[in-house]
Amino acid sequence: MRTSRPAVTMGALALAALLPATVLVGAAPAVAETSVTVMRTIDTDRYDPHKSTARSTAEALFMVGDTLVALDPDLKTVHPLLAKSWTVSDDGKLYTFKLRDDVTFCSGKKFTARDVKASIERWLDPETKGVVKNRAGDVKEVRAVDDYTVEYELTQPYSELLYQMTQHFHTIINIDQVKALGDDFGVKGFDGTGPFCFESWEPRNELVLKKHEAYKWGPAFYGTSGPAKVDKVIWKIVPEDNNRVAGIQANQGDATQYIPYWAVDQLEANPQVSVTKAPNYFWTYFVGFKITREIADDIAVRKALNLAVDQKAIAEGPFFGKAEPAYSYIHPNVLDYNAQGVDQSIFGHDPEKAKAMLDEAGWKLGDDGFRYKDGKKLHLLAYSFTNIWQQIMEAMQGDMRKVGAELEIQVFDATVIWGKLKTQDFDMFTMSYPYVSAGDAMNLYFPSENRPTPNRVNWARDDTDQWLKEGRGALTAEDRFAAYAKIQKQVHDAAVWIPIVHEPMFVAAGPRLKPIPAHGIYGAGLYKGLGIELK
Amino acid sequence: MLQHIAHRLLISVPVLIGVLLVGFLLLQVVPTDPATVMAGPTATHQEIEAIREAMGLNEPVIVQFGIYLGRVLQGDLGRSMISNTAVATELGNTVGPTVELMVASLIWAVPLGILLGTLAAVRRGKLSDRIIMAVSVAGVSMPIFWFGLMLIQYAGFHWKLFPFQGRGGPLWTLDGLNHIVLPALTLGGVFIGPVARMTRTSLLEVLGSDFVRTARAKGVSERRVVVGHALRNSLIPVVTLIGLQIGFLLGGAVVTETMFAWPGVGRLAVGAIVSADYALAQGAILVLALSFLLVNLVVDVLYAFLDPRVRAR
Amino acid sequence: MTELSATPAAILPDDAPTERLKRPTIWRKLRRDKAAMLATGFLVLVVALGVLAPWIAPYDPYDNNLRMMLKPPSEAHWLGNDGQGRDMVSRLLFGIRTTLSMGLLAVLAGGSIGAILGLLAAYFRAMEGPIMRVVDVLLSFPSILFGLAIAAVLGAGTTSITIALTVAAVPSIARITRGAALVVMQQEFISACRAIGMSDMRIMFRHLLPNCASTIFVYLTLQLGQTILLGAALSFIGLGAQPPTAELGTMAADGRNFLFFAPHVSTIPSVAIFMIVLAFNVLGDALRDVLDPRLRQ
Repeated sequence: MRTSRPAVTMGALALAALLPATVLVGAAPAVAETSVTVMRTIDTDRYDPHKSTARSTAEALFMVGDTLVALDPDLKTVHPLLAKSWTVSDDGKLYTFKLRDDVTFCSGKKFTARDVKASIERWLDPETKGVVKNRAGDVKEVRAVDDYTVEYELTQPYSELLYQMTQHFHTIINIDQVKALGDDFGVKGFDGTGPFCFESWEPRNELVLKKHEAYKWGPAFYGTSGPAKVDKVIWKIVPEDNNRVAGIQANQGDATQYIPYWAVDQLEANPQVSVTKAPNYFWTYFVGFKITREIADDIAVRKALNLAVDQKAIAEGPFFGKAEPAYSYIHPNVLDYNAQGVDQSIFGHDPEKAKAMLDEAGWKLGDDGFRYKDGKKLHLLAYSFTNIWQQIMEAMQGDMRKVGAELEIQVFDATVIWGKLKTQDFDMFTMSYPYVSAGDAMNLYFPSENRPTPNRVNWARDDTDQWLKEGRGALTAEDRFAAYAKIQKQVHDAAVWIPIVHEPMFVAAGPRLKPIPAHGIYGAGLYKGLGIELK
Repeated sequence: MLQHIAHRLLISVPVLIGVLLVGFLLLQVVPTDPATVMAGPTATHQEIEAIREAMGLNEPVIVQFGIYLGRVLQGDLGRSMISNTAVATELGNTVGPTVELMVASLIWAVPLGILLGTLAAVRRGKLSDRIIMAVSVAGVSMPIFWFGLMLIQYAGFHWKLFPFQGRGGPLWTLDGLNHIVLPALTLGGVFIGPVARMTRTSLLEVLGSDFVRTARAKGVSERRVVVGHALRNSLIPVVTLIGLQIGFLLGGAVVTETMFAWPGVGRLAVGAIVSADYALAQGAILVLALSFLLVNLVVDVLYAFLDPRVRAR
Repeated sequence: MTELSATPAAILPDDAPTERLKRPTIWRKLRRDKAAMLATGFLVLVVALGVLAPWIAPYDPYDNNLRMMLKPPSEAHWLGNDGQGRDMVSRLLFGIRTTLSMGLLAVLAGGSIGAILGLLAAYFRAMEGPIMRVVDVLLSFPSILFGLAIAAVLGAGTTSITIALTVAAVPSIARITRGAALVVMQQEFISACRAIGMSDMRIMFRHLLPNCASTIFVYLTLQLGQTILLGAALSFIGLGAQPPTAELGTMAADGRNFLFFAPHVSTIPSVAIFMIVLAFNVLGDALRDVLDPRLRQ
């Protein structure tokens, strides 16, 4: 990874002259750099777009790499990025991208159509053992027609393709470097075309990124096409909530999106700290039922428990009023949400009605305050994540107790629970997830072939599978909506989830920084990092 | 003396192998599937299976341990299953900071503990004795995270005395020194009490012994009796205590490192265990056990230095 | 604390015989120590509160009400409400109950195993090497990591914590027992027992054990405090009791996020832990002063 030294030095010197001396205390290097520390809670396994679905991977890859197209903060509009323009054939199977001719990788290598082809081919190559390949569509072939034209051909239309292409899985990589590094790719190095360059990584501690001097192809909505306004971004792992909250106010860390909800008001009240909220953000918390388990297979129970749970109280409690109570599986602002078809009243709060429904379904109140049917207790076992989920589940436990249902909670660490959730040994589970559209969400959780994960509710219906296929292959926005609308109505009516809240995204910037516009893409609030700027 | 050390080193080998075996068996029964961890939240079943196969997790357990032990004996700790970095590299990065933290905690807490203990012993039964002992017992009785959070909130945030996030660099730089103050205060804080109490008890005992009575009878000043004669002899149990408490201190280090984002081996071990990164977890456990044994070896040597009777044996 | 283990009797051979102590003497001596009496009184009170929790708690400790979330102390709720709006007085009473029973169970189980190992090692010379190596292994294995692994296997919760705490208590008690037993072994009455053909088991449990009992007991008292603190540390790294169980360590750790705007949620259980551990330490110290022969000059 070569960067043009003189330019770094010049820029840094100019900035150093402007900076107050306080920034430079400590072991002052010969050349002062503007270095910004971003705090987060958890690191990833490796920075490889094809091998990791983790949010912490996406956070860094959006900065060190680029995708062909970028996503607007409205999370609906697709902007040019590495591709200047594109056309889609009438049958929806051929996408032709015209690429920028002025792009270089951090290593100095020129970016051409061959890199696009190589990136996709590596992802889909069985040898790579890539993840979530369905997000590439059913690729027939990717061709480099000339240096700056790419043809992306599918065997069947994929209506979501352009949205998916904004995600970090579609990051364009330098295949020569991938081959040179072998198993160390994404660990020791990463060569991308992003506004920052991968410098070094100490797993579970810090990831150091350096400004990409040549960068000038940033997406339009940033108001700057580059280069980045800070020399260095250090992603640092700070697991303790209290430490991050105190840290951002005391200049220990400069920015973070991992603000505990209890601290949002406190940070907003601090005039030195700016907190911004992403205008659109689709990350929903839900509790799913394993509908093939006894008790959880009873739709009356599922509906009654939905009415028992007070989402509003949870939004105001553990989320300190910062989250939006959820009465549907996906956010109503998201692309292709079926506003007419989804009956939000199923998910409201009405404990009296819930009790009546349980009575009617044969669940009679016992002396211990819990309900029984045929000698069996109304008892459900939930597997839960830690942290805020623990509080949510405790609240739910209390709500369910009030209608005579017993909720047993088993909390597992974030890394252990994924294995637990593969089993069939629980009645309910907690989950929160990001999505860009209704189709994105439905395709993840409801295809029968996705059992046992991520289709953990065990939803398996032929008509759903058929509609999913129709939605994926739709040629027009109307057809796509029609297909996904049917699925949304179907799965909402079956009350297979208890939607809890739609999470907001906040990004806090410390005293040294200007407010950072928060972006909702894949939960990575800083997106390309072009909005990070010193005061 | 050398023979003594050699013997101690020799009997450490089965202990280390035992530690590895316990660690290995524990990790085997941990129900985490590293493949699932790697694949992430949205991966499908087939993708997880593919990763599993690729990571070679289908070998029998005994074979895995045999292979692992063989490699360790040759000095190869393997690679982190998750990040593919050499375990030795990861440990190399984290052992330094943890040792720094331990040393920085002990370097002020032990002398202070001995001083307080001596004061308390000399003034036995007086008010200052009671106060010192009360504070010592109180120090031991406090949850460590509570003390650490208070330091972050007040010393770090409100009074802006010291930084509280991460490591600032090597200890000989100003930044490095600044950063270690609060973590070392937290971790050392829990150590003063035991040292002070031990010193007091053992000093009182020595002060009552014959040779001290003789010295006093000869008219040696009380100060010289305490500092010159008694203290050295009473330090033996204190040194043992420090050796035994290293394990406790390592436990405290896990909490302290998490709280202050200190890039140490305790945090690494926790992370590795929960993510079922076998090789890495084993490496971290090995290092922790090794440091425990090493400290106790040093304690043994110090013993001989403090008490010629042991040297003679 | 490990003060007792730090004066290994094997290294500092003791000439004072550890004969069976007469209870009245101990009690009379203990009664002279005001701090110890205060600690004892406090512990009796705490245990009573824990035992009686189901009958004296003013509210249901599991009845949450998010509208009362983080409310400061009031007339209806003397110690305020926690993050789920539950009554802190009731949570505290039930928390004491859980924490104490976890700590006691772990110390008793770990103490028994440790004591047996220590006795065996002292009595049968051939078993000393292997047993002490196992003890070394356990001692070198940081107990917090052990707890972590157990929790990963069994899932976090009181059972896991109790097992981890039990394992953590074994090695030091084994060491201390062995040290004390070795001293007793040197005494003539053991040889006498052997001479009259008494069985090994009988000697070990009828004669050796009772003579080490006071030392072990003192240590168990001190260990109890440590065990409760270790439980709190495990809660901090997320291995606490499962919700909605009220447990002091978990309550303190979970409430720490509200430390600076609803300080009662974390401070009350922290103070409770602090006082209980303090009381056990004070009592242990006093017992040691009374029981430890070397200080009884």
